[in-house]
Amino acid sequence: MVDYIDSKLTVTMKGIVKRFPGVVANDGVDFEARAGEVHALLGENGAGKSTLSNVLTGLYRPDEGTISLNDEVVHFDSPREALERGIGMVHQHFRLVNSFTVAENIILGEQSKNIMMDTSAAIERISALATQYSIAVDPNARIWQLSVGEQQRVEILKALYHGAKILILDEPTAVLTPQEADALFVVLRSMVAEGRTVIFISHKLDEVMAVADRITVLRAGKTVSTIECATTTTRDLARLMVGRDVVFDRVVRTNQAEPDNIVLQLSNIDANDDRGRQALTSIFLTVGKSEIVAIAGVAGNGQRELAEVIGGMRNATRGTVAVNNEVIPNGRVRKSMSAGVSHVPEDRLHTGLVADHSVEDNLILKSYRRAPISKFSILRRNVIRDQATDVIEKYDVKTPGTTTPVRLLSGGNVQKILLAREFNSSPSVMVISSPTRGLDVGAIENVRKRLVEAADSGVGVLLISEDLEEIFALADRILVMYEGTIVGNIAAHDATRESIGLLMGGIAIHQENN
Amino acid sequence: MNNNILVIILASGVFYGTPIFFAALGELFTERSGVLNLGVEGMMLMGGVSAVWASQHIPGSSWFVVLCSILIGAFAGSLVAALHAFLCITLRTNQTVAGLSITIFAGGLGLSSYFANVWDVASESVKHPIRILNPAGLSDAPIVGPIIFHQTILTYLSWVLCGLSLIYLFRTRTGLKLRAVGESPQTADAMGINVVKYRYIHTILGGALAGIGGTYYSLTIVPQWVDGVTKGAGWIAIALVIFGFWRPDLTLLGAYLFGALQSLGLILKARNIEINGSLLDAMPFIMTVVVLVLVSGGWAHKRLQAPASLGVPYEREER
Amino acid sequence: MQSPLRLERRLTQPKWLNWGVPLLSLLGALILGAVVLMATGKNPISVYMRILERGFASTDAFSRTLISATPYAFTGLAASVAFRMGLINIGGEGQLYLGTIGAAFAGIAFADQPTPIIIAAMIICGMLFGGFWASIVGVLKAKFSTNEIITSLMLNYIAAILLDYLIFNSKSYWRDPKSFGFPTGKRLVEGAYWYDMSFGPITVPFGFLVAIIAAGIVWFLYNRTRFGYEVSVIASSPSAARYAGIRTRWKIITVMSLSGALAGLGGASDVGDFRHVLDSKGVQIAGYGYTGIVVAALARLNPISAIFVAVFLGGLSNAGYALQGPDFPSGLVGTLQGLILFTAVAGEILTRYRIKRQTHVAEGASS
Repeated sequence: MVDYIDSKLTVTMKGIVKRFPGVVANDGVDFEARAGEVHALLGENGAGKSTLSNVLTGLYRPDEGTISLNDEVVHFDSPREALERGIGMVHQHFRLVNSFTVAENIILGEQSKNIMMDTSAAIERISALATQYSIAVDPNARIWQLSVGEQQRVEILKALYHGAKILILDEPTAVLTPQEADALFVVLRSMVAEGRTVIFISHKLDEVMAVADRITVLRAGKTVSTIECATTTTRDLARLMVGRDVVFDRVVRTNQAEPDNIVLQLSNIDANDDRGRQALTSIFLTVGKSEIVAIAGVAGNGQRELAEVIGGMRNATRGTVAVNNEVIPNGRVRKSMSAGVSHVPEDRLHTGLVADHSVEDNLILKSYRRAPISKFSILRRNVIRDQATDVIEKYDVKTPGTTTPVRLLSGGNVQKILLAREFNSSPSVMVISSPTRGLDVGAIENVRKRLVEAADSGVGVLLISEDLEEIFALADRILVMYEGTIVGNIAAHDATRESIGLLMGGIAIHQENN
Repeated sequence: MNNNILVIILASGVFYGTPIFFAALGELFTERSGVLNLGVEGMMLMGGVSAVWASQHIPGSSWFVVLCSILIGAFAGSLVAALHAFLCITLRTNQTVAGLSITIFAGGLGLSSYFANVWDVASESVKHPIRILNPAGLSDAPIVGPIIFHQTILTYLSWVLCGLSLIYLFRTRTGLKLRAVGESPQTADAMGINVVKYRYIHTILGGALAGIGGTYYSLTIVPQWVDGVTKGAGWIAIALVIFGFWRPDLTLLGAYLFGALQSLGLILKARNIEINGSLLDAMPFIMTVVVLVLVSGGWAHKRLQAPASLGVPYEREER
Repeated sequence: MQSPLRLERRLTQPKWLNWGVPLLSLLGALILGAVVLMATGKNPISVYMRILERGFASTDAFSRTLISATPYAFTGLAASVAFRMGLINIGGEGQLYLGTIGAAFAGIAFADQPTPIIIAAMIICGMLFGGFWASIVGVLKAKFSTNEIITSLMLNYIAAILLDYLIFNSKSYWRDPKSFGFPTGKRLVEGAYWYDMSFGPITVPFGFLVAIIAAGIVWFLYNRTRFGYEVSVIASSPSAARYAGIRTRWKIITVMSLSGALAGLGGASDVGDFRHVLDSKGVQIAGYGYTGIVVAALARLNPISAIFVAVFLGGLSNAGYALQGPDFPSGLVGTLQGLILFTAVAGEILTRYRIKRQTHVAEGASS
């Protein structure tokens, strides 16, 4: 049923400036979206897209500039005011209360004079909306019981329930399989057919080309250009996004992978997650010398637990991990480290590093127990300092000094320090998760270069990533994880985006030779 | 039959548990909004000493003075809580240390004692204590008489409050919003809920209830002012909130349990039952530790958890 | 409702904050204290002057101040040691009580040994008893994730009951069998009295010197050793500590025990330097453990600063004691201490935020 919504909204943002300590996130941005279109906001990480949308939804107050709805200038002092005017947002990190049900989360934003809640009426209306837009969701389910994709559907439903005329989605496909993403696009299309506006924030070029009518490109906090999707190509967009010609081709290796020269072997690994539920079931995998094995999969299918088991942070409830053909003791970080395992976690600043500690103190996080860093249990400050100075120079880390707390550094430099520390320990195996998430293009190039260097020098790399483009650029072999098991094991040159996508979504494909 | 030791224990449990419940209910609301208030003991004492002052100085009929004393006690508690709210919500200090400093500041060695001295309230017993009532003349009814019909007005008030709190928290929109603020202030904020307002109001409310709890000590149980008269009840109340899984009904039961423990020593001694007095005195505190251990680990922790944002200051414009 | 000021997160911490914040806090506390005094009809200037006079103005006063300062130094160190790892140990009070019990035991049991041996025994027993009491909190936290604030506090109350039991409610080893009317503890022999060191006209209790040495050891341990590094990682980021393979659970027990041992040492000093008897009531009224928290907060958890802050608070306490009377009610000292703690805590935010005036936004933008 395509009914046009009662009033359409055009939003115009002019000259938006937003500053944070140390950075100007939006530097005079102009942006405008019409009713009935899907308008993509494209830019690399750090370009200012999220900030702009937070300004539009009233979470941030702009330091300068104006917002207008249908030519009427508006001020939002809080997210509520933006909501009342019909602007809804689905954030990258969902704004849902985990312990509440779907219905309670949706009721939460209701403007009503009633003191008492009318849960059943709300549930009826939610179910009606869900049917209308083909969004499958159980209003009585608790949020923590839902998968990430389902939670996103709740967020969209929430916005529709509150009558959002402009819906902003911030990197929505980061947590979806390719097939789920396609389904999402169908929903979006049906929404704009009614006259709503969808603002689609992304850094992924092909997605943007697939779903958008118009595209606005941001770079370093400024608007670069607004173009019709039909008149542009991914190559053009990439150039606008970064300011130069960028093509991520498949990397060139100097040393070929040796998959049969096994450096890491997992046999029949089971493990539980933090809540005690089974996260890994019967994992068998191998990584060879100089081989880059990628694990593809939507986040939350056991990847984190897998990395933690290998790194020794988590106990396997069954099975063994062997490095260089020697079984290492279960759940002991120090044993894993001394066996030659390097674990680079996804959460760089709060797990892999100590955010408030200085650069030099972070570099010794794994080596502080032994010489030359410490002697007779006493830390040798001058050695620590010298080491840090060397690293900064060698890896070209931009930092005011060795005593600067790492939380002040940019994402790319944080990753440089983390990688420097790990490479320093001369590992045989490196397990690395989402190494380039949130980094700008220059930093991404740098990280990939380092990984390839490591592989060329003999390290077996297990790359866990949600970024298919990255996987195809780097991997020799691709594994796919779904619900805690390995569902696919394909040589990179045999794999296609589609086949991997299906496996990521849990759909088994028939293969002649496994 | 009403001399039966079990009946007496239950009746005492209700009697001694009432002030702890008031303080715990207050803390429950505060924590539901995401603020940890460790200054409960101090707020109770400030409420207690203010109520005594009121009792000595306000003229009028007994009922009127009692009412004023309770209100003034609540007011004093809420003032201290406002200070705590300012430190924790606006200044975003470490909530634990802020609460501790309030207890030291207002506690038995601090402001409450200072005011007691300055106002000279400890010298005589309270003129208008809160008396035990005999509603509908049923105090002597078998079993339920001593337990239910032989309590003070505050106990009856506490039952009403317990019921209202349950409705408020789980059936009203405002209660839903409160719970959202405690579980996920980012979400609540994004939904247009004023996180700061909810936290301030419920923290101050918590102080008011703690203040009322304090008046119970100085105007009923003793009834005279003694420095530090609450003797750790405020801390037990905090543990009680955890023990009651942040639900008013369970908290009420827990309060009565601890009330019974507190009075057990006196009851047994009055019956000439020889039990080590010191051990009995220590029982409430030992039990608190035991209860906490049971509640912190394992299954309970996974199923019924604290409000997720408890103790974490909320900043909206975070990078 | 817009405030004219706003808090903006700091990027780095300028060095001057290290001494600037405590000083500002102190000033703030004194001003607030003056408000309280004036509100109750007293003259703050004269009260403060008398405090200064009785606390510090003569060598006699200063020597007495050091006596008051010594237990605060120990409990301040105890609190700092725990807080630096994020363990909110408010059980210093009870741990000190256990220390007095241990030291009194040693003092009585070793009564016929030469003084150096008795003192050593008292120190060791005080630390063992106090450390044990704190380790209960540590084990509960490490094994069962039980909140250490409430458990350490409950143990304070239990320790107080234990003290009363040993002196008043039982015929224990500690009780003087000859005291009928009002039970007291066994008095220690003169050989168990701790030394008084004279530095010119000022008398320094032996315990105070021990505290200085302890502060130095703690400083070195926390700033220069592997142990200190691990503690700082755990405090800053428990998940990073887990990632790096640091054995957090053992550290919790160790640090709590160390904290309790320091408080217990304070208890030993209380018995050996000052009371020479297990004085259950006296030590409970003093509230050393809670003041220790104030010391730690104002000293910003730095062990060396803690010594100086302890002296300051010792002077305050000493003056309060000397001036007690209708004009200077009990509770004033506690109130001032509480105010100092407040302002120290509030002052901490200055290390994380800057105060900026709300910028005037250009016309047309949201206000």
